[in-house]
Amino acid sequence: MDLRRHEKASSFLKILSMPFSNKKFVVGFMILAGITLTAVIGDMLLTFDPLRTGRFPLSQPPSLAHLLGTDTLGRDLFAQLLLGIESSLTIGLIVATVSTLLGATMGFIAGYYKGFVDLLIRSVTDTFIVLPLLPILILISCLLRTISIFVMAAILCIFSWAWTARQVRSQTLSVKESDFVYMSKLSGMKGREIIFTEIMPHMLQWMIANFINVALWAMIIEAGLEMLGLGPHNTMTLGMMLYWANLHSAMFREMWWWWAPPVIVLVLIFVSLYTISIGLDETINPRQRTR
Amino acid sequence: MGSYLRYVAKRLLAYVAVILVAVMINFLIPRLIPGDPIMIIVGRLSAKGATTGGVELVEQYKHRFGLDADLFTQFFSYLRETLRGNLGYSIIHFPCRVDALIVTAIPWTIGLLSITTITSWAIGTLMGTLSGWSEKSSKFSKIASSISLVLYATPYWILAMILVFAFAYTFAIFPMSGGFTHGVSPSINVGFILDVVRHSMLPMLSIILSSLGWWYLSMRSLIVGLKGKDFILMAEAKGLSKSRIMWKYAFRNALLPQVTGLALTLGNIMGGALLTEVIFAYPGLGWLLYNAVTNLDYPVVQGITLIIILAVCTATLILDLIYPLIDPRVSYVGE
Repeated sequence: MDLRRHEKASSFLKILSMPFSNKKFVVGFMILAGITLTAVIGDMLLTFDPLRTGRFPLSQPPSLAHLLGTDTLGRDLFAQLLLGIESSLTIGLIVATVSTLLGATMGFIAGYYKGFVDLLIRSVTDTFIVLPLLPILILISCLLRTISIFVMAAILCIFSWAWTARQVRSQTLSVKESDFVYMSKLSGMKGREIIFTEIMPHMLQWMIANFINVALWAMIIEAGLEMLGLGPHNTMTLGMMLYWANLHSAMFREMWWWWAPPVIVLVLIFVSLYTISIGLDETINPRQRTR
Repeated sequence: MGSYLRYVAKRLLAYVAVILVAVMINFLIPRLIPGDPIMIIVGRLSAKGATTGGVELVEQYKHRFGLDADLFTQFFSYLRETLRGNLGYSIIHFPCRVDALIVTAIPWTIGLLSITTITSWAIGTLMGTLSGWSEKSSKFSKIASSISLVLYATPYWILAMILVFAFAYTFAIFPMSGGFTHGVSPSINVGFILDVVRHSMLPMLSIILSSLGWWYLSMRSLIVGLKGKDFILMAEAKGLSKSRIMWKYAFRNALLPQVTGLALTLGNIMGGALLTEVIFAYPGLGWLLYNAVTNLDYPVVQGITLIIILAVCTATLILDLIYPLIDPRVSYVGE
């Protein structure tokens, strides 16, 4: 028994360390880790509230006192950027976690038990997949007058799990027919046990890739909604920074230090997540390697 | 053919179900969410100086909008009016009906999106073919791949902002915003059309650039996947020229998935680039939606949501029905 557990742990580590031999994955991972660490550590070192208006001189260009200058409301932009990165990543993290877990569970159940449950879950996912998201999300966030980071994440969660569920369902269907699942059924394992100990490990890598993709999706949609002013007003996210910059026409007042940093950071985050996703894809399906 | 008819019936049923769900979402969301639109209207009126009324005014409004009836009655009258094509009145442009506002906006959105989608598809597919076919580590394909990666990962509206800054502000080559010069009334003549073209250059460029990366990357991987396939090897063994194999064999085989992708994207046109229109104040659906959102014009927001859902679902349905007829490999019997 001990030996088996040890074996399981080491194969788990092996699965997790495999992507690190892929160059694209490593590059993306380093960029993302760098941005995240800077934001988290920077936020801890902040000695003032980055959202309080009128604290510093207005509309100052970058200087040693204010690394990225200040905005028209007298707020330090570097502090805003740190806070923005942290909250944007938090939203992506929450949505990706919930959607992967919920979607995978739904998909496993639908794929394993078939029948009425399957029909029910499948019709719900199909409906969610066909509906165009952005207008519905705009409708919801427009009607919800006060939005916090968690409400924002919750709204995105509602609409993000369907894709995961559909794909996990079809994969479960194919894994289910394999010999080792038949073996465990014969040896008297229960459905739940088979899902968690036999089928799920086979999809671990795929679920990690899905996690990254959902995080990417969530952050892109989130930034878009916030750009319309539909994001959380009580804190700062990267999208809300752009909204404020746009609202005060920073672009046409030569205040590049207001709008350029969030744009650069957003693009960096998206590119890094995307390269991580490609890297993972290449380690999972070696045949898909394009180079 | 019998199985095809069964497939059609199933798809139609699913379509009606999705539309019903969409209508219900559209009806329920505003009612589930705390906050009273009537109080907002009254608040706005009193901010403008209207002091009369109070409680009576609220009651009057509730009666006028049918909000004093129970939820079922409300839903069925909503359903009935929606089926008649009556989407209600805009709060901000009061005497104006929501459907009239949407009808003026739709041609702008469809025009902008259909031209850009097709252009970027054509360019991306061609570039993808060339780069996928060329040698593995050629400079062109390396550079093109990294550029398209960045373009693909950048949301189109961020690209739009950068373009405005570069080509409308720093170098004032193109106008910053709008669909045509302010104060000119739309008409069909050369001057006006040129004006429209000039105004749509930057929005177009932003959409083309951001979607180009996707088409390029997907065509490239399709072509790379075909290399080494039997029929390609056979053609090479026959001694056909490289360019002939590329166009006649690889390109034609990779085209079908790309065409499917194009069709799917065209189906999504109405909800495709709402934010580009916001950045450029381009008078399509996105701009209408943005203004409705910022002014809390709920009927307009709801109307646009419904129209976009209807359009996207209908396009998907048409595609689903046509596709098995075009591509025999798609099976519609099984599911």
